[in-house]
Amino acid sequence: MVVGILGVGMTPFGRTARSLPDLMADAARTALGAAGLETPDAIIVATMNPEEFVGEGNFASHVATHMGFAHVPTLRVETATSSGAAAIYAAFASVASGLCRVVLVVGGEKMTHLPTPRVSELIGRSMDPYERSYGATMPALAGMISRALMTGHGVTLREISQVAVKNHANAARNPYAHFREPVSLDAVLGSRIVADPLRLYHCCPISDGAAAIVLTSGAAPVRIAGVGQGTDTLAVRHRPGLTSFAATGAAARAAFTMAGFGPERVDFAEVHDAFSPFELIALEDIGLVPPGKAGRATLDGETALDGRLPINPSGGLKARGHPLAATGIAQVVELFWQLTGQASGRQLQGEVALAHSIGGLATNNFVTLLERSR
Amino acid sequence: MIEQIEGSRCPRCAVVVAPPARFCPHHPVEMVPEFLPGVGEIVTFTSLHSPPEGFRSPLHIAIVELDGGARFVCHGAATDGIKVGSKVAIEAVGQVYYFSHLGALDRARIFWRRTGRRGERVQAIARSWGKRAWQKLHREAS
Repeated sequence: MVVGILGVGMTPFGRTARSLPDLMADAARTALGAAGLETPDAIIVATMNPEEFVGEGNFASHVATHMGFAHVPTLRVETATSSGAAAIYAAFASVASGLCRVVLVVGGEKMTHLPTPRVSELIGRSMDPYERSYGATMPALAGMISRALMTGHGVTLREISQVAVKNHANAARNPYAHFREPVSLDAVLGSRIVADPLRLYHCCPISDGAAAIVLTSGAAPVRIAGVGQGTDTLAVRHRPGLTSFAATGAAARAAFTMAGFGPERVDFAEVHDAFSPFELIALEDIGLVPPGKAGRATLDGETALDGRLPINPSGGLKARGHPLAATGIAQVVELFWQLTGQASGRQLQGEVALAHSIGGLATNNFVTLLERSR
Repeated sequence: MIEQIEGSRCPRCAVVVAPPARFCPHHPVEMVPEFLPGVGEIVTFTSLHSPPEGFRSPLHIAIVELDGGARFVCHGAATDGIKVGSKVAIEAVGQVYYFSHLGALDRARIFWRRTGRRGERVQAIARSWGKRAWQKLHREAS
């Protein structure tokens, strides 16, 4: 069965005083409005940790009731930072199997009201407990991965930094982005060291926000051509290598197999650049760029808005922002807008787009392929 | 003697992990205990400048590939002179494992020990490195 995207919506990402249920209601109502629907058959909610971030439990029912959908079957999906993509995956299965005809997927997170160390600690709980006991945080592991890339694979700090420069430049054209100011290469290279060699401007911000899409088995402007999930060990030390994420490769292979085409058909993509080096790793793991070429391609402008293969036209996690469970859905929102000519100021041309989301430290990743309906 | 680090081995795929795990991460198989020499090579490292609560900044963390095959996460008192590929000794200070750099002489001694001679020297070197690290941390703390 063909599964299509009927409508999308999202809130601006950044810092807000609005409540998480309100943010999610805003995104959901925009998506339902765009789809021309009042009520879906079912709802899948994505939040990574509302219990700790906002102190609310039973969150599927909480959000559904808040939106006036107390009688619509709702469940919650969680795979750490890829929860939004996981919710799309689950909704795809629900529609493709014939269980439901129209499913609303809505994801969101609210974190900026908490102190940064507290937020880091809560996000860090998605890592291996032993590694955490040594003070390892997400930035620490990303720093170690950066060093491995730079030592063993000839990636330079300029190449890594150019990812952030490019994504900030894209976000400057996106009214929904957390950061809308361009940054220079020197500013990125000169920003303070977070986890040597990783700088502050290589790391995504802490953002609030929500995003939603409506999936249907009926006619739709964009169809989901393929979905794939890939997993890996919770502990980074249990992996044979650090410079490639097996979970991304597995997710991409599954999605391309379902779609019946390969990475050469992808016109543009949204990838999970929680840390700038992760964008370079993703391009090679997915097969969008030959091994060892992602840094050079980025520095040469191939992945810029006017390049051969635009990556993160929204600004990515780095500059659009990263409200955890909203992110995987916001990527698909951006790609839907791009494929249907609604991305004014940053409009791309193309038929096929790819979204890539990382859960935890690449323990539970998703790749989603979208194709404009003919 | 060199510090012995407790790990475990998968009887099916022979992967070794440290600290020990009940099940192999790659197979639903119970692992068997295995001890690994506390000597290995730096795979990568970082100095974290905004460590979590309870840790001093900068916090030096490394992934070390032990000679027995397992990769191990540990702390370092410093990263001066440490590079990817550096040979290091691992020693427990309290309940926490630290890496310390092994010079050419130390490496030679470990080699001799493996060939069956003068092993006690290595113990002395590793202990002194560990103590030095511990003392330095203590100085910084007070």
